[in-house]
Amino acid sequence: MAMNTPVRRPGGGLWRALRGSRKATAGAVILLLFAVMAAFPGLFTSVRDANALDFAPRLGPSTRHLLGTTALGQDIWSQLVYGTRQSLVIALVAGFLATVLSVLVGVSAAYLGGLLDDLLSMLINVVLVIPAFPLIIILAKYAGRGSLTVMLTVLVVTGWSYGANQMRAQALSLRNRDFLEAARVRGERRSYVIVAEVLPTMTSLIVANFMGAALYSVLSAAGLQFLGLGDPNSASWGTMLYWAQNQQALQTGSPLWSLAPGLCVALLGASFALINHAFDEIGNPALRPVRRRGAAPAAAAPPVDSAASDAQSEDSPLLRVSGLRVAYQGARGPVEAVAGVDLTVRRGQFTAVVGESGCGKSTLLFAIAGLLSAPAAVTAGSVLFRGDNLVTMTEKQLNALRWRDYSVVMQSAMNALNPVRTIGAQYRDAMRAHGTFTAEQVRARSVEVLELVGIDPVHLRSYPHQLSGGMRQRAMIAMALLFTPDLVIMDEPTSALDVVAQRSLMVQIKELQQLLGFAVLFVTHDMSLVRHFSDQLLVMYAGQVVEAGPTRTVFDTPAHPYSRGLLEAFPSVRGPRVELRGITGSPPDLARPPHGCRFAPRCPVVEERCREWEPELYPVGEVRARCLLQAPDRRTRPLPPVEATS
Amino acid sequence: MRHLLRRLGFFLLTLWAALTLNFLIPRFMPGSPVTALHDRTRGKVSAAALEQMLTSFGFRPHQNIGSQYLQYLGNMVTGHWGLSIGQTLGEPVTTLIGQALPWTLGLVGTATVLAFLLGTLIGVLAGWRRGGRLDTVLPPVFVVTSALPYFWVALLLILVFSVWTGGLLPSDFNYDNTIVPGFSPGFVGSVLQHAVLPGATLLITSIGGWILTMRNNMITVLAEDYVRMGRAKGLSNRRIMYDYAARNAILPNLSGFAMSLGFVISGAILVEYVFNYPGLGYLLYNAVQNVDYPLMQALFMLFTVAVLAAVLVCDLATLWLDPRARAKG
Repeated sequence: MAMNTPVRRPGGGLWRALRGSRKATAGAVILLLFAVMAAFPGLFTSVRDANALDFAPRLGPSTRHLLGTTALGQDIWSQLVYGTRQSLVIALVAGFLATVLSVLVGVSAAYLGGLLDDLLSMLINVVLVIPAFPLIIILAKYAGRGSLTVMLTVLVVTGWSYGANQMRAQALSLRNRDFLEAARVRGERRSYVIVAEVLPTMTSLIVANFMGAALYSVLSAAGLQFLGLGDPNSASWGTMLYWAQNQQALQTGSPLWSLAPGLCVALLGASFALINHAFDEIGNPALRPVRRRGAAPAAAAPPVDSAASDAQSEDSPLLRVSGLRVAYQGARGPVEAVAGVDLTVRRGQFTAVVGESGCGKSTLLFAIAGLLSAPAAVTAGSVLFRGDNLVTMTEKQLNALRWRDYSVVMQSAMNALNPVRTIGAQYRDAMRAHGTFTAEQVRARSVEVLELVGIDPVHLRSYPHQLSGGMRQRAMIAMALLFTPDLVIMDEPTSALDVVAQRSLMVQIKELQQLLGFAVLFVTHDMSLVRHFSDQLLVMYAGQVVEAGPTRTVFDTPAHPYSRGLLEAFPSVRGPRVELRGITGSPPDLARPPHGCRFAPRCPVVEERCREWEPELYPVGEVRARCLLQAPDRRTRPLPPVEATS
Repeated sequence: MRHLLRRLGFFLLTLWAALTLNFLIPRFMPGSPVTALHDRTRGKVSAAALEQMLTSFGFRPHQNIGSQYLQYLGNMVTGHWGLSIGQTLGEPVTTLIGQALPWTLGLVGTATVLAFLLGTLIGVLAGWRRGGRLDTVLPPVFVVTSALPYFWVALLLILVFSVWTGGLLPSDFNYDNTIVPGFSPGFVGSVLQHAVLPGATLLITSIGGWILTMRNNMITVLAEDYVRMGRAKGLSNRRIMYDYAARNAILPNLSGFAMSLGFVISGAILVEYVFNYPGLGYLLYNAVQNVDYPLMQALFMLFTVAVLAAVLVCDLATLWLDPRARAKG
């Protein structure tokens, strides 16, 4: 039976990606040119035996001798043309054989595992460390000058280990992926799995490796021939370089003799390097060239409600977000992850934002905190923090507020704490960024906050990896409290922990909040987690707030079908037994949100009009809900007809 | 502890493999050192002296190969590297190496460390200003320069700065040999002058690799949560760039540095050859040209030891810079 495991292989769009890369194109064009030259030298020169001493020595460039003649009386241009074949053959054959060897050794080591892996990787590392070029020189010398086979063998024997190391690493990381597990469960033979499932996944690494090995072979072969360890009568660029050096070409006025073949080696090498680099970029899209980050989008400075920036009264909210929109600039147009969010947080209030993964809650948090980085950017709306708009502030202005007035706690402290600095050093960085403190002051405050979260101050000297998951998370919360800010923004701070640790951390956060009086903006996908802790609840779906109101009310009488679905997705510990239904399907693709109500495709109570009319947030008692069923006036404005976009 | 033992085992194994290769190559390849030596010394050296020279590097054709091998290993490890049988007939190999070593260390060592430091710094800046001018221009340029053949760059520099300028910068030997060596300003100046072109060659060809890998590491690290956290804390850009991003991004480059030493050695051989610079690379070239087995053997072992030493230094640097590696130790 086929298993329902999606098999995803990078490499599907390889060809398209390659054609889009200017580096790959440039490399391929050079390579193609040399290939034609190697295959049909007669097309490029009328000289039949380029090594024959047929002409006057040391002629300058002319129409008859494009690059002049050598001190021995050979036509330089035709020597170049005829030399192409050997250089290309060495590159391709040695590159190919070395790559085959890398794949064989690397993949076997990874898949056979155990002792054999130990032995093979030891072998790889030993060959990797033994200096190859001196070995090549010595081998080439002993094996006698000249033979192409010897040169190829030597290049392959010394050139495979670097690739094998990479193959082994990637094969190891692939080993436990789902689709391979699935193939194993299907009972397929190991060799079949490797050939049919593993190797295709490694295509881009294998090709990159071939290019690297070819580059290595071109340079090493040219170097050997240049030193006089090749066949002095062969037609190759390296041999030309040898004779040019032998006859002091540079010093005796025929520099082209030496420069031209060197340039050809460099060009051939560059073509391999460029294609190799293009494959690296395909394997790791983050490395691709990016367009210069333009000036902040014009929409980032929305009209600010002038009343809002008036002098702060005591009950004006600590944080007021209005009409906030965030878009990711993707290759196929912008994707709006936050589509017009309004929210208000009062001093000391605990506000929770809930929703499934991918509904834009974390993006919303980072947008509020001013921590978005390209390609994400705020496109409209404002974030008023104590009356000042954070969206229009410069980094410098933001830096003055950050940590002192609002701080951030992230999902996984393992990733959010700098792994190479001690906890104490990271606290010190934060404090020193906002004023001058003596070492004593820094230490005293650090000890104080660590004790607040119940961690022994000796851990100031610990590195993050030395703490347990729960301690790391609390250490990060302690760091967020260094200046006792007005607002602490928390992005799923408990989701990396087990249920018991989650519970105790929530209790601790709540206690600290009551003790110190800061407001909390808390994001989670687990609605039940915040039930007893938050004052205000916002339910997000597909970039929009679909329901907002006091936590208690939303839990007791959810007004939006999505909130109901979320509530039913988690078991209640004490409440009556209800069937866990959850919500079928998954959130929509934000690049093309559904027409009408965004929840319509998954909604259990969907009506015809939901697919045409876009709901607003309608007041329902104490809460507001984005559902047409709650619309006070059923004649809500219809959407404009769908534009015919391709 | 287990980790340390593994590393130690790896060092010994590699050294042993290199020494064994050294032993096997001359014995199993065509061309006998005895005939080579007889040809060269034809009548000039007595049979007894010849015998003495041959045995000096463990070549005793009449003994069985096992005991030859053991004796050879012992000699190599204890520094009994024998006498040269090439052009410098009869000179102890240790003396020859002693003369050449400082020049290579000075020239190649300085150029390599400089390339690493400078390349890493430029890579940090390019990765940090993602999409900036540096980041757009550098990668394609250095992809190409790091693929250039060492000797060709050397020839180009000689042509431009030495031939065309009528000898502005010297392109031959390691100092002007009309000057008496010593700590005089003239001599030191001459040494520096002679190091400019070969040093520049090594720098140009090796810096690209460091820039590219460091840039790529930076880009990977900049997407990490702790960098965003640094921003959230309101740290200065400088602090985030160095202590949060670069400090982590440099870790993978350390092991790369040790591995790259193999390439540096190949560069050193070619560059020293082009400039007739009397370092270890040039010595190896001459040893190979003159079938000077003892010298070749000692040099090859020395190159291997150099790479291993670099691996060791990088291991230590990683331990120092990465607390997680310390835990493994």
